[in-house]
Amino acid sequence: MKRLSVIFLNFLLLSVPGTLVWAAAEKAEALEKKVNLANLSGINYLFAKWYNENMWLYAIIVTVLMGGVGMLIALVTDVILKMIGMEVSKIEHHE
Amino acid sequence: MFDIFNVYMPIAEMQFNALILVAIGFSVGVLGGFFGVGGAWVVTPALNIFGFPMAYAIGTDLAHIFGKSIVATAKHRKMGNVDMKLGFLSIVGSVIGVEIGAQNVMWLTKLGLAGPIVRYTYMFLLFGLGIYMLYDYATKDKRAAAQAAKAAAAARAGVAPPARKSWNIPPMIHFPASGITISFWTVTGVFLFTGWLSGFLGVGGGFIRMPALIYLIGCPTAIAVGTDLFSVLFSGAYGCFTYGIKGRVEIVAAILMLIGASIGAQIGVTAVKYIRGYGIRLLFAIMIILAGSSVALKQFGFNTSAAWVVMCAALGMCLVIMIKLYNGFKKEQAGKAAYAVKEGT
Repeated sequence: MKRLSVIFLNFLLLSVPGTLVWAAAEKAEALEKKVNLANLSGINYLFAKWYNENMWLYAIIVTVLMGGVGMLIALVTDVILKMIGMEVSKIEHHE
Repeated sequence: MFDIFNVYMPIAEMQFNALILVAIGFSVGVLGGFFGVGGAWVVTPALNIFGFPMAYAIGTDLAHIFGKSIVATAKHRKMGNVDMKLGFLSIVGSVIGVEIGAQNVMWLTKLGLAGPIVRYTYMFLLFGLGIYMLYDYATKDKRAAAQAAKAAAAARAGVAPPARKSWNIPPMIHFPASGITISFWTVTGVFLFTGWLSGFLGVGGGFIRMPALIYLIGCPTAIAVGTDLFSVLFSGAYGCFTYGIKGRVEIVAAILMLIGASIGAQIGVTAVKYIRGYGIRLLFAIMIILAGSSVALKQFGFNTSAAWVVMCAALGMCLVIMIKLYNGFKKEQAGKAAYAVKEGT
């Protein structure tokens, strides 16, 4: 009996998400602009070129770069903190 | 003098001071690593004050938040502060909640009521949460004494102490990292609610999820911080990509902020090791009350003052965290030295 009531309650609760409406809320519109490539060189030129030519590629490069640069700096800072004795390991949780 | 630090932003097509970007990133990194929040509510007004083009502010901020939260989450994981099972559940619940909240705001916008309702809800939430957490901190010893007395009385009577009231609707899920067993529906409901608040208020939600993990789910504070950052990582990645597609990420600015944030996050996360859970809650309470004051100033038209309040609050809190880290580290080193001497004799 308890098992049946648990199953019934679960079905009831599972129906809640089914009544929700997915929003396609766009929080910001796409910026329709082209960057002027004149006077740009090196990495700035490459960033601007990708931005102008392929927004998806630009977004992928940005995302990968953010992850990669973050991890690289974390690695370096980890080494420095270890050198000065500020290493971290599993901690006991005290409130 | 500081003009030598000006760097050309190829997407925004303007010069901007690299030192400002690194400094903003650093302070937000410290706060993020310590409190488990993204920090967008500090970055956007700070960038606004210094004249960064607002068209790129949110996207650039989300891009750097993604990178920073990878750093901070990895370090928190090393400390045993990330409950990944809970983190994944939080993402699922939050995404649904955010979309409902966004729909509600769109409906209120059509009625012309969105602005004041959202702002007053935001203020009520920030002040209410901050005051509650201050009360929690102020009464923790009294509550601990009362609980100990109840347990002692129960032991004397030879009965089990009264169990904490909880909503035990199956299926129950055990989260070994947090050490809690809780109903799936409680967890989902909490994250649906926090997601709804984020979508309704138009914020990332880290500062809502962290206290929700502590007070509504029952996570230890440090685990709430690490697990929240895990969720921020996913929302940051999604935000970075979607704003990238919309052309709203200034990549050079994002990299500069990330450099500062990655270093700051390491410091913020390490500081968690030296401060007890209630200490983190107290500082968090102060932080969000100051953020609430900033929102209130903005509501009454003092936009510049509002931005300065939030920036000074962030910098001040950064300083407090670094001082606590330094003091904790010195104490730890002194303890190690004393132990070494004792072992030597």
